[in-house]
Amino acid sequence: MSIVPKETIEVTAQSIGITNLSPEAALMLAPDVEYRVREIMQEAIKSMRHSKRTTLTASDVDGALNLRSLEPTYGFASGGPFRFRKAVGHQDLFYTDDREVDFKDVIGAPLPKAPLDTELVCHWLAIEGVQPAIPENAPLEVIRAPADNKIYEQKDGPLIDVRPPVKHVLSRELQLYFQKIAEITMSKSSPALFKEALVSLASDSGLHPLVPYFTNFIADEVSRGLNDFQILFNLMHVVRSLLQNPHIHIEPYLHQLMPSVVTCLVSRKLGNRFADNHWELRDFTAKLVSLICKRFGNTYHTLQSRLSKTLGNALLDPKKALTQHYGAIQGLTALGHNVVRLLILSNLEPYLSLLEPELDCEKQKNQMKSYEAWRVYGALLRAAGLCIHDRLKVFPNLPSPSPSLLHKGKGKIISAETRKRKLSADSSQNQLPHKRLMTTTDGLRPQDHTGPAPMHVDKPMGKKGNESESRHQNEKERGKGRVITMKAILGQIWKDDLDSGRLLVKLHQLYDDRILPFIPSTEMSVFL
Amino acid sequence: MDPEQLDEFVMGYLKKKGFNGAAKQLQEALHNNNNNNGTGSSSSFNSTDYHNDPELTKLIRSFSQSENDPTRYRNGYSNLRSWAYNSLDLYKHELLRVMYPVFIHCYMDLVGKGHTQEARAFFNSFRKDHEMIHLRDLQKLEGVLVPSHLEEMEFARSLRQSKVNIKICQYSYDLLLQYLHRTESTLMLGIINEHINFQVYSGQPNSSSDDIDAVTIVGSFQETADHVNQKEIQWGLLEDSLEDRLEKTGSLLTDSEKGQGESKDGDVDDSNKKRSTEIGKQGSSLKKLKKDKAGNATAKVARQETSTVSPAPRVKSELALPVMSTDVEESILEDLRNRVQLSSVAMPSVSFYTFVNTHNGLNCASISHDGSLVAGGFSDSSIKVWDMAKIGQAGSGTLQGESDTNDQVAGPNGRRNYTLLLGHSGPVYSATFSPPGDFLLSSSADTTIRLWSTQLNANLVCYKGHNYPVWDVQFSPFGHYFASCSHDRTARIWSMDRVQPLRIMAGHLSDVDCVQWHPNCNYIATGSSDKTVRLWDVQTGECVRIFIGHRSMVLSLAMSPDGRYMASGDEDGTIMMWDLSTARCITPLMGHNSCVWSLSYSGEGSLLASGSADCTVKLWDVTSSTKLTKAEEKNGNSNRLRSLRTFPTKSTPVHALRFSRRNLLFAAGALSKPTS
Repeated sequence: MSIVPKETIEVTAQSIGITNLSPEAALMLAPDVEYRVREIMQEAIKSMRHSKRTTLTASDVDGALNLRSLEPTYGFASGGPFRFRKAVGHQDLFYTDDREVDFKDVIGAPLPKAPLDTELVCHWLAIEGVQPAIPENAPLEVIRAPADNKIYEQKDGPLIDVRPPVKHVLSRELQLYFQKIAEITMSKSSPALFKEALVSLASDSGLHPLVPYFTNFIADEVSRGLNDFQILFNLMHVVRSLLQNPHIHIEPYLHQLMPSVVTCLVSRKLGNRFADNHWELRDFTAKLVSLICKRFGNTYHTLQSRLSKTLGNALLDPKKALTQHYGAIQGLTALGHNVVRLLILSNLEPYLSLLEPELDCEKQKNQMKSYEAWRVYGALLRAAGLCIHDRLKVFPNLPSPSPSLLHKGKGKIISAETRKRKLSADSSQNQLPHKRLMTTTDGLRPQDHTGPAPMHVDKPMGKKGNESESRHQNEKERGKGRVITMKAILGQIWKDDLDSGRLLVKLHQLYDDRILPFIPSTEMSVFL
Repeated sequence: MDPEQLDEFVMGYLKKKGFNGAAKQLQEALHNNNNNNGTGSSSSFNSTDYHNDPELTKLIRSFSQSENDPTRYRNGYSNLRSWAYNSLDLYKHELLRVMYPVFIHCYMDLVGKGHTQEARAFFNSFRKDHEMIHLRDLQKLEGVLVPSHLEEMEFARSLRQSKVNIKICQYSYDLLLQYLHRTESTLMLGIINEHINFQVYSGQPNSSSDDIDAVTIVGSFQETADHVNQKEIQWGLLEDSLEDRLEKTGSLLTDSEKGQGESKDGDVDDSNKKRSTEIGKQGSSLKKLKKDKAGNATAKVARQETSTVSPAPRVKSELALPVMSTDVEESILEDLRNRVQLSSVAMPSVSFYTFVNTHNGLNCASISHDGSLVAGGFSDSSIKVWDMAKIGQAGSGTLQGESDTNDQVAGPNGRRNYTLLLGHSGPVYSATFSPPGDFLLSSSADTTIRLWSTQLNANLVCYKGHNYPVWDVQFSPFGHYFASCSHDRTARIWSMDRVQPLRIMAGHLSDVDCVQWHPNCNYIATGSSDKTVRLWDVQTGECVRIFIGHRSMVLSLAMSPDGRYMASGDEDGTIMMWDLSTARCITPLMGHNSCVWSLSYSGEGSLLASGSADCTVKLWDVTSSTKLTKAEEKNGNSNRLRSLRTFPTKSTPVHALRFSRRNLLFAAGALSKPTS
């Protein structure tokens, strides 16, 4: 019935010296006690409201008691929370836990600090309806979309002007940091500093508020700086650092970032100078793409499919420049062998037939074009090789390579290199320096693929590994005997692999001998 | 039931109802019957009459169960409840409205008959249904457990004595009666007959939303309210007010000083410039100036519109108003001329005064009309007054809103930089500056009101009259007079030169929590814990309007500058806009989620600012509401007022708000440590 149990009444009665209170009387008193307590609390709440507070204090209760001309409670004004203890042996009996205080301790204790005097501080809560970002104002955590305003705008037409609710949401430190990073990224003078900046971007925590600004910055600068190779490269490095930073939650901004990255991969022109090694940029960006797909492919199921669709379209459009094709192939290769199989290998035959005339130095007079064509061809080889390598590594029962073969192969690389040089000297002299440049840059690339260790380098073809296109160029000079062994191996592989890759089988049937150069290239690139 | 028992019961019933004659006859008849039993069955007519009729027996049985059986209430109510919940959707809300009065009267009947335990159980099992709308009433009633409490508690008594008016459509009414008769739930029928007054109307049921009357159980009180609200009020502005004079001088300027290019437009431009310098003085940047000009242009148009649409009528003052010195008048006129036109596109700047190190002791804050003086009333009985102009000079311009306040916290030479006013002997609950800022009034729990001079920094007068804590005190818009309100359920009008009140306004059913003057000084409005706002005629002391609609205690009031509207804020965070002439709520403004401590209209009445315990200042567009009231009558569209901006503070509940005459918004509050 009453929320005050009669035991409480009995205990209270005892405490004030009434020992002979009958249980009936206690039972009768209990509801009245509850009513009185509620009455006091109602007045106390009024007192609290007029003190402009939302928490009830002991002084409010005192005020309420005062209103009823009752004696206030003493000893409860100190403010500290009371600890109620259960009385031993009684279930519903509690008492406040009063500590015993030693006088000596109290007297010996140092004086407490005097409370600070009340002060009045003035600041602008808003200036013409906009809250300035000053420390006195409540921090605005995120940039809020002005949804309310938009609704009003639709309703009332031109009556309302939509002002952004926030002017600045970044602390000054972050703003400075962002400015500095942007500056360094855009300046080409201090690579050492830029490296430091990249390290900072990749490791510092607390950069998250800047992510939208960085994505914006990257998108802006990529679209603006398509002619400046160095800046593009720097920007892609920034992207990579941001991706590496474990404290940054970059997913929500990925959709803003991806167009810039893809641009750097498949744009027709990256950099305007002849010496700009845009191939390197494309390769780097391809790696970024693969990094992104690996990290976010699980959360964004459409990411990879959309990417491969975009890249596939770029590849299959014959009107697109060869540089774009190259980027697309590299990007697709970075997406993994399945994508390569689906998108590149299936279209390999018609594509090669288109590429064939470009490859021919005699027919194609434009040296640049021809060089680009060879580049594309190399990328294709690498892609196909990667794919086949993936197939091959399913069979670990193939004999392991002997070191002697390896040495032999190396020797051949040198010889082939010289021979190739001799050969190309007459037809494409100015082409050579580019190629060399390219080979040096490409030299790093295959190392990434050493991860899955190859176990079937039993092929005796000592092919020079890292420059596949030049190898193909020299295809005809290569020993016929090697081709025979290759054929045997391939045949065996296809036999083993009949059920797994109808596409590959088809490929084999289609190309037969012509696919052979792909195999060694992969094997060797992986191997080295 | 055997015949003996039945006879006994019928006897008891007749006696109880006072049919003594009938009882005597019956007894005689029974006696005869018993006597004749042995001789024969010749004259046992009356006994067989009701013994053999099953219908009658059943009825009698139902009576026999009655009276002292507490479960009947529970069963009756729960049956009625499930019936109402299962009724047709169209009529459901009307039928559900009946449930609350039935519920509380069932409960009070149970308590009244002494079934404390059953009453509590009944209350707890159905409490949830009504908590949403009637939470506070339920909290009050919950404590009632003993019949004597019913007598003692005013709220319960008034409920018991009065009838609830419920508007209900014909069909719902028929449904209800049918149900009650069919199920023979005489108890429920009795309660409904006794305590509910149905106002049956023909046609389709109303939509549930527009019926505010359902919210408060006021009973016959509603009728008095309706009656009171018939009275005529003169809500217009005072004739020959400063605004009038300003308009006149404005037109005068247009005529006479055309040569100097001081046309009305020029005037506006001028004010624009002045304003920009004013703002510039206060540390704002000027980059928004262009936009403001555009905004001002629209604002001007809006102003012209309003002035053509609704010229506030002029009324004569019924009070002898103090004579204003020409200096003061000049400065006010100057301020009015330089007023920034605010609208939904031209937002005000908000200057915030934060009290720090208050140790939870700040009870109230008050800002003078020009924003230069800020007073705080504390629970330790002290009042502290800061002169922001002086602080501005000493502490390198805090008025400029700069953050270099650290050196100022220490104060120049370690002295405190406020004026300490000591005199009260209880928590100070309210403080108010006179319009020129030369006096300060404070009210306290010690039941007194004290007048202080801000020039002498001394207590001048102590006004004693209230018997309980004085919750609020407000200076009239012209000074000299002031109004106070108290826990003793009265509001009082005072003048500065008399220690006795001039008028006592009595009528509220609970504490009067806040008071506000009408701009023409002829009326005051009071908000109370009885959830009503009342408007009183200052001259006669009569209540002229009762505004019913709030669901919890009313904490703040504000009057629109044109005197037509009033805003009131309550404990739940609801703000209501009232039309004074019709006493109807235009629309509730929802948005705050805690007590609304303070409300203020901008100088031209287009914006309403509200400050709340939820640590925000909100700006509301109230022009749209006034503009659309006519359209609303046609299409009934109710979504007119809207929140424009919310300015969150840094964990500082907003205690006070004031628009200066130039339309700069000042706000004040005490920094409260976030609970950790």
